[in-house]
Amino acid sequence: MRTLEEVLATLEIAKLKEEDLNPTIQCLSFGENVSSADYCLMELDDTLCKHIEAGDSLVIRGDKDERAVLCSRDKTYDLKIADTSNLLLFVPGCKTPDQLTGGQDRPHVEHAQIWGFCNSHWELRKQRPKLKKLKKLLMENPYEGPLLGGQEEVTENRYTMQDLLERIQASEEEIKDHLEIIHACQIDGFWRVLDFDYEMKLLGHVTQLVDSESWSFNKVPLRTSLEELAPLEPREMIEHCLSCYGKRFTENDEVFYALNEDKVCRALALMLLQNAVKFNLKEFQEVWQQSVPEGMSTRLDQLKGVSLVDRTSNPETISLLQVEDLPEDTLERFNHLFTLREKWTEEDITPYIQDLCGEKQSTGALLTKYARSSMQNGAKVFNSRRPVVT
Amino acid sequence: MTSPADASGGKRWCLDPEAASLFADRMVQVFIRGGVDGGVDDGPPEWLMVELQGEMVSRRNAGLAGNVMGDLLYTKEGVSVLIVGHHILYGKLVKLEKPFAVLTKHPGHSQDGGADDVAQVAMETDRHEPASTSYSVSALIKRKLIFKTRPKPIITNVPKKV
Repeated sequence: MRTLEEVLATLEIAKLKEEDLNPTIQCLSFGENVSSADYCLMELDDTLCKHIEAGDSLVIRGDKDERAVLCSRDKTYDLKIADTSNLLLFVPGCKTPDQLTGGQDRPHVEHAQIWGFCNSHWELRKQRPKLKKLKKLLMENPYEGPLLGGQEEVTENRYTMQDLLERIQASEEEIKDHLEIIHACQIDGFWRVLDFDYEMKLLGHVTQLVDSESWSFNKVPLRTSLEELAPLEPREMIEHCLSCYGKRFTENDEVFYALNEDKVCRALALMLLQNAVKFNLKEFQEVWQQSVPEGMSTRLDQLKGVSLVDRTSNPETISLLQVEDLPEDTLERFNHLFTLREKWTEEDITPYIQDLCGEKQSTGALLTKYARSSMQNGAKVFNSRRPVVT
Repeated sequence: MTSPADASGGKRWCLDPEAASLFADRMVQVFIRGGVDGGVDDGPPEWLMVELQGEMVSRRNAGLAGNVMGDLLYTKEGVSVLIVGHHILYGKLVKLEKPFAVLTKHPGHSQDGGADDVAQVAMETDRHEPASTSYSVSALIKRKLIFKTRPKPIITNVPKKV
């Protein structure tokens, strides 16, 4: 340890005048157990800083094939290590000028210990969570309805929320939101996604009942629905179907569901489109309108992100193209889209790139970055920046 | 698990090599506790960080532990002065644009009887694997003293003018 005299002597040689200096001299030394192995530095944004100050925990999630992400309760961040050529020392007891006001006038030495040091830190970047894996996992064993006589329960590939948290690189809130979007439900403690045909069967029961009872689809009574349909399907499944396709409300102590026209029409369109590669657009629109419940109107814009209309062919056609089936990586997504179709209008491509947008990023910005624009027949079209095989 | 050089700015993707072994055969979650051990405070304490250019090498190559690093002073105008060996460096106090959390690693133990109420994830598998590594937030760093100037040698034995 240096003595005050030694320090003052050095100051004199360095031509630093005592009267210009704050009298506290802090002698910094390395603690006995100092090393760089025990501490990590993690860069924070304001939100995370507040989380930590509130005592909330964070979680790192990942597996050996994917990179690691950091999750708060409701957000996901990419985790990277950034090296710096500088040395970063942690000195818990070190005081700053504002903390050294008042006190002694005479020069004196205080001691502060360096507890650790780093030359790298974890850098976080908020990112859209990778949730495609969620549906993929649940589709390993979709729920097809109650078991028929003689059938055995498939107990493999069933996931609880805990299991999902260990496999999906997303925060719990983001996972829960997505489970709702894919119409998953909990059966025996496991999260299950419904087999598409079974889901359509349930929806068919509901819409047929609404028709036969001449109810308004904005006011479907829960109790009666359950009573009428109980012989056909489990009550939980009927209620789940109503929740997926409608909004629950209470009136005079009775529970009703207001069916969502867009969701119902979209589901029925999917059912039709699955049966062939391409449809004659006009024929499709006729059949589609006829298949939806009385009082509901079909519109092509209900199918954004779910189907693609080809107006350049004669006759015009429509085919199934669901954004959830496309690659999750931005570059791969664009390559795939340009492989399907060489040139896209902004209107057609937007539903298929909307989910790629980062925070405060617009689809326009994505197009500028990943596509090249040109004019075709007086309209702006986008094509790939590099050659793709169509 | 190797870290391939990332295309953007030479940054590495994954966690440190020790952490990589966490993901060896089973996907895991590594928890980072927010609160301080047994703390009643609101949040972790704030530490000061000192940033120096270049590496710190002990004179006798005996390692750093226990050794004096240097003396820190402030001028009345708020300039920071650091005397390291025969060199003097000037720096300033800056507020970090993005604060840092200082995380302390807690390596996994099999039967850790710690008083921690949360933290360690006990992975229940058929093979009774030990609890996985976890981290806790020891402190927040919101300000740093940065010394960017080239260290100036303090020349001794300057003959005094008569």
